[in-house]
Amino acid sequence: MKRREALQTLATAAAALPLTRLRQGFGAQVRVPLEAQELTSDQVFVLRDVAGTVLPSAIGRKGQDEAVDNFLRWIRDYREGVPLSHGYGEPRLVKSGPSPARGYRTQMDALQAAAKARGGRFGALPLEDRRALLDDAFKAADVRNLPGRPDGKHVVADLMAHYFRSSAANDLCYNARIGRNTYRAIRVTTVRPAPLKS
Amino acid sequence: MPTHECDVCVIGGGITAAMLIERLAELKPGLRITAVEAGRSIFDRDNRGAYHRRSLEYGEHPWHDDYIEDQQAKGMISMTMAVGGQALHWGGACNRFSVEDLRLKSIYGLADDWPIEWDELEKYYVEAERRLNVAGDPSPYPEDRRSAPYPQAAMPLSFNLQVLKKWAEQSGLRFSPLPLSRNIDKPFGGRGACGLYDTCGDVCPTGARYSPDFTYQQLIAAKKVTLHDRMLVRKLVLADGTDTIAAAQGYHQDRPNEVMEYRARLFVLASGQCWSPHLLLLSANSRFPNGLANRSGLVGRYMNGHKFISAQAAIDEETFPGQNMTHSLISREYFRCPANRPFVRHDTRVWESSAGKEPRLRDGGGRLLLGDELLNEWRSRALKGSSVRLRAYYDSHPSADSRLTLDSTSKNRYGDPMPKIDRQLDAASLARESATMAHVTAVFERMAKASNGRLVNKPVNSNYWDHPAGGCRMGASRSNSVCDSYGRTHDHENLFVIGAPTLPTGGTTNGTLTFVAVSLRSANRIAELT
Repeated sequence: MKRREALQTLATAAAALPLTRLRQGFGAQVRVPLEAQELTSDQVFVLRDVAGTVLPSAIGRKGQDEAVDNFLRWIRDYREGVPLSHGYGEPRLVKSGPSPARGYRTQMDALQAAAKARGGRFGALPLEDRRALLDDAFKAADVRNLPGRPDGKHVVADLMAHYFRSSAANDLCYNARIGRNTYRAIRVTTVRPAPLKS
Repeated sequence: MPTHECDVCVIGGGITAAMLIERLAELKPGLRITAVEAGRSIFDRDNRGAYHRRSLEYGEHPWHDDYIEDQQAKGMISMTMAVGGQALHWGGACNRFSVEDLRLKSIYGLADDWPIEWDELEKYYVEAERRLNVAGDPSPYPEDRRSAPYPQAAMPLSFNLQVLKKWAEQSGLRFSPLPLSRNIDKPFGGRGACGLYDTCGDVCPTGARYSPDFTYQQLIAAKKVTLHDRMLVRKLVLADGTDTIAAAQGYHQDRPNEVMEYRARLFVLASGQCWSPHLLLLSANSRFPNGLANRSGLVGRYMNGHKFISAQAAIDEETFPGQNMTHSLISREYFRCPANRPFVRHDTRVWESSAGKEPRLRDGGGRLLLGDELLNEWRSRALKGSSVRLRAYYDSHPSADSRLTLDSTSKNRYGDPMPKIDRQLDAASLARESATMAHVTAVFERMAKASNGRLVNKPVNSNYWDHPAGGCRMGASRSNSVCDSYGRTHDHENLFVIGAPTLPTGGTTNGTLTFVAVSLRSANRIAELT
């Protein structure tokens, strides 16, 4: 528990960082007021609690905490108004939208309130109650599947998408050290990938 | 009016310009070459790792400000306008065309022959492959003759592609690793070796996959070229009373009211299939009211490329998606078509795929899946056989009305009408569309069934033409072409067009290597004239 508290403190400290991050070398600078979008320390604590339900047990508590940390880092480093990949075919200029995190505080408050109404802390509720809470929240937010990337419809769906669409989750699914989109020696890919260490 | 004088003024800063300038500088040391590019230089190799990460994690475009918002064309397949051009983010595929691509009229009575012998073009393929450090294996088809081996052995097949090769060859087709312009295991040309980040089509962190920004930096450092970037050439101007090009008029993005005049002995238009014919049309004057180099009326016509058919197959074999998704297998089985059979020509490509094997939030009954449930449901689909991505680029020929025109409804900041490209098949290609689809579908089905597999969707035709080319077609006669086989325009002795625009037809496979090969051939001719 002490380690979790320490992480919580770190998250709080990061949330209190002054102001904004500036784009560098990316054309016009975009200023994003971060602290208004980030979850409070209490909410981060609740999100870690929820992670125990929505992320796989195989990665352990430590892995789930890391997944939450990675998600929070992703949110903090998000940049608004940046051109997205315009690719081939029928290209058009599309820029990144508002930070997905803008609605997270409200969503977390609603989730906490709903859990409280059912008897208390989210993670302490029976599994079917937890499922029902999230199901209602996702339906209200029109979350039909895991988004390709966090899109702000619901913070928990975004956490799940951020993890389950990662290279690490791909490895876990196949129980294989594939390392999608990471630096690898070519020879490593020429043989059947080794299983993950248990 | 500020002027800039040089021997050769190259308009455009993409891959064909890079290769042409590199070759010209070798053949004619001391030649004053200036490259003028409308887009900016993106020479920041040190940041490629960060761009790679941002692209993967956030979907951000890794080539920042590589477009000019008011300088866009309708029907163009990429927005990129920067030093390096679209080859900043190509996949690096380096397939050769075959003899048939150059002899469609003679062999099949279709489209047109190219005014180049394949054996001569082959020499330039070898040179292009050397400069691009292509990694490939000899084709299993003896008709694909080569006069020299590839500079590198092919990219080793991933475990997945080894499995898929074995599967695909049960159909009777023979497959090879796709030839790639990629430094496999050691640096080359100032670029690093492959780290298999698998993001070649977006950004290569090590530079292993060739991109022209490296070539330009080296040429600039060696003082072999003067590069003027962010300079849009809006007009070519004739010398008084003659058909000789006297100058190119450019406008810098930061000085839109100031004309920079480029004066040169020889001008090379290397702006690709869209912007090359566009500039010629924009440069119309009283002597050439329909545009420069356009006495034939063919500038902006016969816009080509190739269409493609895609499908997904499900097979029993086990693969591990994510090993090397940008590498693929190619079969050249259908590059040749016996002249006495219904015409159909295409390549056949195979990739690993994760289609249908992505994590899902709900099960088939709509129940929300949490944690281990989600993982288990994902595994139940992912570990059951494999998905395979299939594609065929097929030979489809443009009509004369496959056109680039000036669109008066869309103008840039200067009031110039922007290009509008409307690609049209010729009558024969149109007539065989359904037969082509039936043939390719049968090939895909044969491949799938060879391993108890099946196509999971009906093959679909592309909604755009890939590897676009044409618009300034080469030919043997003034009446049916804009330029000769070297790209020298029939109407202006000191104006060349190089690369993609000069191709009469678009072939059945990736075009970049051919664009480079014909440009290197042009370089030799230009060197003779300077």
